[in-house]
Amino acid sequence: MITLIYRGIIALVLIFVVWHIFEEEKITHQANAALVIIPLVLRFLMIK
Amino acid sequence: MKKHYLTGTLCLAIAIVIMVLSSMNFLSLKDLGEIVPGPSVKEVKMLSDYFEGIQDTNMDTEVYVLEGTKPGGKVLILGGTHGNEPSGYLSAITFIENAVIEEGTVYVIPYTNHSGMTHNDAQEASPQFIHIPTQTGTRTFRYGSRASNPIDQWPDPDVYVHAASGQQLSGSETRNINRAYPGRPDGTPTEQAAFAIAELIRNEEVNLTFDLHEASPEYPVINATVSHEKGMSVAAEGVMELQFSGIQMALEPSPSNLHGLTHRELGDYTDTIPLLMETANASQGRLRGATNEALALTGIDKSYVKSQELGFLYVPYDESGHPIEERVGRHLQGIIEYTKAYSNQYGEKPVTFSNVPTYEALFLEASKEDLGGPQLGKYLH
Repeated sequence: MITLIYRGIIALVLIFVVWHIFEEEKITHQANAALVIIPLVLRFLMIK
Repeated sequence: MKKHYLTGTLCLAIAIVIMVLSSMNFLSLKDLGEIVPGPSVKEVKMLSDYFEGIQDTNMDTEVYVLEGTKPGGKVLILGGTHGNEPSGYLSAITFIENAVIEEGTVYVIPYTNHSGMTHNDAQEASPQFIHIPTQTGTRTFRYGSRASNPIDQWPDPDVYVHAASGQQLSGSETRNINRAYPGRPDGTPTEQAAFAIAELIRNEEVNLTFDLHEASPEYPVINATVSHEKGMSVAAEGVMELQFSGIQMALEPSPSNLHGLTHRELGDYTDTIPLLMETANASQGRLRGATNEALALTGIDKSYVKSQELGFLYVPYDESGHPIEERVGRHLQGIIEYTKAYSNQYGEKPVTFSNVPTYEALFLEASKEDLGGPQLGKYLH
């Protein structure tokens, strides 16, 4: 159960970060957000 | 389309490429490679055959059953309790692929904490793989972690309370299977795996159990065998024989107030005689220099040579290091001598075997160029 809640939180944060990439106008901030996505997706898929 | 949408898409695309590449790498860590069953392997069971609770989980692991032509006693060999201690699982695999059992049955679990083999300690700069040349090509083995994969068991508590004794340890020890014995059927995945091993010992009536480990050269219990009090007679006879073979081996009694370890709990909660052996592995030490595959296989490290000069170590250390052949040789010679001692003292249930590479064959007779993998590879298929 705790893993499901955890993955739900990750999915929510992931959606906000992806949204942020397209809202942000500075490319450096977009690149920062893209970096944050990598561990979030690996964790959501329980790969790492 | 606005410019920042284009750059955003580009950043996202690059992140996806990195994600795919890193996913492929992390997923490859789950492939532990194949073990070639030797002449005495009659069956390959799963640990979940002894406790269904771990079936279809990453804690389930193979149990190789090696049977002799005559009935006798039963021995269990646990390799890979800690995935960052390669001589443990390489000794177990070498035994599986070579041993010819004459009397009795030998059960071998090469990867005791299977989950711990599927990840590694990146912040320790641990290598992901080790490669050993054999006559049929180079074999790849995993270099794992001391603890179960946090994908399989999380979160760690601040304090780990050992269920059977109430002993309190650091929270990270909750994923260490050698702090989880005798295990619990309704516990964490690591405790369930420990319970399954205790069930195997009880159901198969295993007489003698070996748990193969490595330790950092600055750790006091090294080049040593730790024995439960009921195994002291067997261990003492075995240590004498090892000393005659030129192997310096200390004999340590299992502390009665240190709980969760094989040499304590398997002795207390089952009828087996548990013995735990330690060899010197620089790649898990705190005083090491560059950490890589070569260090894991050769033990050659300038920092440890200096540490030896300063008197910090509990094992001799020179420019030759402690190659994998020496460490596997110590474990296998230990299994040979302790099993002989057990068979001498418990003559009604002997276990005898041959064709297991000795310390002499693996290490003493090897040329310097063959140490660090090639000499061990001569005994792997």
